[in-house]
Amino acid sequence: MKALQILIDGFAISSLYATGAIGFTLIFGVSGVLNLSHGSIMVTAAVVAWLVAGSFGAGPYGGALIGVGASVIVSLVTYGIVVRPIQKSRAIAREEKEIFVLTGTLLWGIMVQEVIAYVFTNNPKTVLPLIGGVVNILGVRTPRTEIAIAAIAWLAMGLLWLLVNRTRGGKALMAAAINPRGLTLCGFELGSIHLLVWTIYGVLAGIAGVLLGSFLGVSSDNAGQLTASAFSIVVLGGLGSVTGSLVAAYVVGYLESLTAYLVNPSIRTVPVLLLLVIVVYLRPQGLLGRR
Amino acid sequence: MKRKYWMLPATAAFATLAFNSAQAAPPIKIGVIAEASSVSGASIPKAAQLAADEINAEGGVLGRKIEIVTYDDHNSATDAVRAFQRAAREDKVSFVIASYISEVVLALEPWSARLHMPMITPGAASDEISHNIYKDYNHMKYVFHGYFPSTFIADSVCDAAKDLLVDEHHMKTAVVMSEDAAWTLPLDAEYLKCLPKIGLKVVDHIRVSPDTTDFTPIFNKIEGEKPDVIITGISHVGVQPTVQWAAQHVPIPMFGVSSQATTSTFWKDTNGATNGVVFQTAASAGVPVTPKTNPFSDNYEKKFGATPSYAGYTSYDDVYMIADAIKAAGGTNPDKLVTAMEKTDYVGTIGRYVFNGKTSPFTHTFKVGKGYITGIVVQWQDGKQVPIWPANVAKAKMTFPSFVKLPQ
Amino acid sequence: MMSTPKTLLGTAAVIALMALLPFAGVGGYVLGLMTSALYFGVFAMGWDLLFGFAGEVNFGPSFLIGVGAYTAGLLNHYAHWPIIACVPVGALAAVVAGLLLAVPALRLSGPYFGLVTLVAVLLLQNVIVIFAGFTGGEIGLDLPDVLAISSRVNYWYALGVAGIVALGLFALSRSAVGLILQASGQDAIEAAALGFNVVRHKLAAFCISALVSGLAGAMLVFYLGTVSTDSVVDISIGVQVIIAAVLGGRRTILGGAVGAIFLIVAGELLRPVGQLSTFIVSAFALLVILFFPGGLLGRFIVREGA
Repeated sequence: MKALQILIDGFAISSLYATGAIGFTLIFGVSGVLNLSHGSIMVTAAVVAWLVAGSFGAGPYGGALIGVGASVIVSLVTYGIVVRPIQKSRAIAREEKEIFVLTGTLLWGIMVQEVIAYVFTNNPKTVLPLIGGVVNILGVRTPRTEIAIAAIAWLAMGLLWLLVNRTRGGKALMAAAINPRGLTLCGFELGSIHLLVWTIYGVLAGIAGVLLGSFLGVSSDNAGQLTASAFSIVVLGGLGSVTGSLVAAYVVGYLESLTAYLVNPSIRTVPVLLLLVIVVYLRPQGLLGRR
Repeated sequence: MKRKYWMLPATAAFATLAFNSAQAAPPIKIGVIAEASSVSGASIPKAAQLAADEINAEGGVLGRKIEIVTYDDHNSATDAVRAFQRAAREDKVSFVIASYISEVVLALEPWSARLHMPMITPGAASDEISHNIYKDYNHMKYVFHGYFPSTFIADSVCDAAKDLLVDEHHMKTAVVMSEDAAWTLPLDAEYLKCLPKIGLKVVDHIRVSPDTTDFTPIFNKIEGEKPDVIITGISHVGVQPTVQWAAQHVPIPMFGVSSQATTSTFWKDTNGATNGVVFQTAASAGVPVTPKTNPFSDNYEKKFGATPSYAGYTSYDDVYMIADAIKAAGGTNPDKLVTAMEKTDYVGTIGRYVFNGKTSPFTHTFKVGKGYITGIVVQWQDGKQVPIWPANVAKAKMTFPSFVKLPQ
Repeated sequence: MMSTPKTLLGTAAVIALMALLPFAGVGGYVLGLMTSALYFGVFAMGWDLLFGFAGEVNFGPSFLIGVGAYTAGLLNHYAHWPIIACVPVGALAAVVAGLLLAVPALRLSGPYFGLVTLVAVLLLQNVIVIFAGFTGGEIGLDLPDVLAISSRVNYWYALGVAGIVALGLFALSRSAVGLILQASGQDAIEAAALGFNVVRHKLAAFCISALVSGLAGAMLVFYLGTVSTDSVVDISIGVQVIIAAVLGGRRTILGGAVGAIFLIVAGELLRPVGQLSTFIVSAFALLVILFFPGGLLGRFIVREGA
C-alpha cells in the first residue's frame, strides 16, 4: 500500500524533474552553458499560467499554453541579452566565459524572480489542474492530475526524442553537441541551432513549470531551489547526457520520495545531496557521462 | 478624547505652541518594517498608512502630521536589523511597527533596548517576545507585543474546537501539524496540553519544515493514523498544504491557525482549494468584532483591492495607539512613550487593547479574554470567509467539502 | 594603472582616511551600513583569492562564513566564552571545515567543484535546521554579547579587520605565491610542468579564504547580536559575495571590498523603490559584467604577469 503510494508519487515527481532537467542538459551539451536562471524561467511559466487561467478566464488549457509561451520568450531573451553577448564579447577571455555565463544567468534569474515577487507577491500560486478529481489505483487515492502530469511529461520527452532522431534540425542539434566546428563546416548555421535549442529548452522548462505549479504550487522563492535541483540532476546524470539526466531524475525523485515517506519529510533532500557528493567524488563524469 | 488632553495645562500650552506653528512643525515619523512581497507582510505598511492618513485628515497629533516610513526586510533578520538602525539613527522615527515573523522580532528586540527605540509587532506570536521583556524589564521595556502570544492562540483554538468539533461532531482524536518555527514552539506545547483537556486525544504531532513543497507524504502519514481532525499551526506555508489537501481529497478536516488564509486573495491563490478550511484569527472582513472592524476592512479593500491579512488589523490599531500615546506623553520621548503605551485602553478593530504590566510573564502583551480581545474562528465557504465561532458573531454553521469524512 | 607598492600605499591611505570618517560628521546609521559592507568586503576578497587567482569557482562562500559564524555563536550562547575567544575559534573551525571540503573537492574542476561547494552550503543549512533545538534552526540564536553598541566602535572593528585582510591578501596576490596561484588557475597543466605543486597552492588559497571568511563571519554575528541562517549561511549570501567580487573586478582583491560597499550603499540609496532595489542592483551588476567585464577596479589595478 505504502510501497505503491511511493511508486506512484515518485513517478509523477520524477517525470517533472526529468522534463525540467533535460532542457537544461541539452543546452549544456550544445553550447556549454549552465543556465542558472532555470528556476526563474520555470516559475515564470507557472505564474503566467496561473494568471491567465484564473484572472483572465482562459481556463486550464489556455493558461498552460500561454504559460509555456511565456517560458519560451524568457528563455530566448535569456539567450539573446545575457548568454550570447557574453559568448561574443571580446573583452572576456575564452577560459573565463563559463564563469561569466554562470554569473550573468544567475543575475538575470534574480531579476526575473524579483519582478515576479514584485508584481504577484512571493505567495505560492497554484495553476488550475488540467483535470480534477481523484481515482483509486489499487487502494491508493491518486489525483487525476498526477497521472496527467506524468503522461504530459513523457509525451513532451517522446516528442523531443522524435525531433532529435527523426528530423534534420534535430540531428544537426545532436551533431552540434558532439562537434560544433564540424557542423559549421557542413554548412549549418550554428546561430540557428542555438535558437532552436533555446526554444526547445523554453518549451520543456515551461511544461515542467506549469505542471509543477498545478501539482504542488510554485512561488518565486522556489526559483533558486529549482535551479539547484536541475543542476544536481544534470551533474548526477553526467553533464550533457540526455539519457543520464532522465535516469538521474528518477533516482533523485524516488530517493526523495523514499526519504519523505519512510524517514522524515523535513530531510527529503539530504540523501540526494549526499549521493551527489559521493558520485561527484567517485565518478565525476556522472552516472552516464561521456567525459 | 481630545478634550481630555486639552485640559491638561502642560499639554495645552504645548498644543497652542504646536497650533501656531502647525505648518512648519516637522512630522512625527513611525517606521514600519515588514516584508512587502508576502501576503501577510504587505498588509502591515498599507494598513499603517491608512491609519496615518485618517489621523492626518483630522489634523494629526499635537499639530504635527504622522509620516509612515516603510522598510522592506525581505523577511531577513539581518535586513530588519539594518532597517531598524536606519529608522532609529538616520530617519529619526519615534516608534517602529515591526514584522509578523517571530524570528525577525526576536532579533530586533535587543536593538530596541540598545537604541531605546519603542517598537510593537502587529503579528509575531512567539511567547518569547514578551518573556524577554519580563526577564529584563528595565532594558527591554521598549518592546510591545501587539498580537496574541502563541499560547493564547492555542487556547483559543481549543475553546473553539470544544464547541465545534467535540460537542457538535463528537470528534475524539486529532493530529497536530505545525510548521517548524519560533512561534509554533509554545503553540504546539499548549495544543498538546489543551486538546486532551477538551476531549481530543492527540495521536501524533508533526512538525513540517517551512521549506516543504510536497505535503503528500505528510498527509499520507496522517491519514494512516485515522484522526478525526488535523489541528494546524501554519503561517509561512499555506497555499501548498491547502491545495494538496484538496487535490488529494484528504478526508480529514483542517482546523486551527492558517495565517495566509486570513486574506481574501487566498481563494484565488489556491483556486478555491481552501474551501472548508477553518482558521483562528483576531478579526476578519465582515465580522464586526467592534464598530471599527468593518469600516477599516471596507476602506482597505477599496484602496488596495483585497482585504487585509490578520496583521493589517493590528497594524492599523497600532498607529492609533501610538498616536494616542504621543498625545498623552506630550511628545516623543521614548521613556514617556513607553509609560503612555502602558496606560493604553483603546478599542480598535480587533477588540479592547490593554497591555499586561511588568509583573505578568506576558509583559506588554495585550490582555486576552472576555472584555478585551478574543479570537474568532472563520471558515472559507464557497469563496467567502464566514465567521463560525463564537456564537455571537457566527453567521453560518461549519460545513466541509464532500471529500471530508466526518465521524458519525 | 598602478603598480603594487603604490596600490598598497594608496590602500593604506584610504583605510586611514576611512578611519577618520566618524569624526567627519558621518552619522551612526551610515557607519552601521559601512560596518556590514566591510564584513561583506572581507568575504568578497576571500572569494576573489580563490576564484580570481586559483581559478576555482566556489559557489559556497557562505559555507565557510556560516561555519565560522555558527561556531563562534554557539560557543558564546552555550559556553559563554568571551568574544575574544569565540572569534578565533570560529575562524579556525572555518579552516578545518574548508580543508575537509577542499582536500577531496580540489581534485574536481569547473562545474563539479562548483556544485560540491554549493551542496556543502545546502547540507550545512539542512544540518542547522534539523538540529534546530540546538542551533536555533531557521529562527536563529540570540547572542548574549555584542562587540559594541556604539556604531563608531563597531565600524572601527570592521575597518580594522577589512583593512588588514585587504593589505594582506593584496600583497599575497602580488607575491610569488600569488603568481603561481594565478598560473595554476589559468593553466594547471603548464604550471605543474614548471614544477609547481598546483594542488598544494590551491589548498593554501582555500585555507586562507576560509580563514578570513570565518573570521569576518564570526565578527559579523557579534555585530548583529544574532546568528541565523539567513544572515550567514543562505545561498543568497553567497550570491551577494560573488556579485560583489565580480562587480568590483576579478583578480584585484581590493575590488571585492569596493563591490561590497557599492552593493550595500546602492541597496540603501534604492530603499525608496522598496522591493525593486534587488532587481535594480542585479540589473546594474549584469550590465557591468556585460560591458565592463573587468569590474569597477579592473581598469585601475594592473595585472602584473597576466
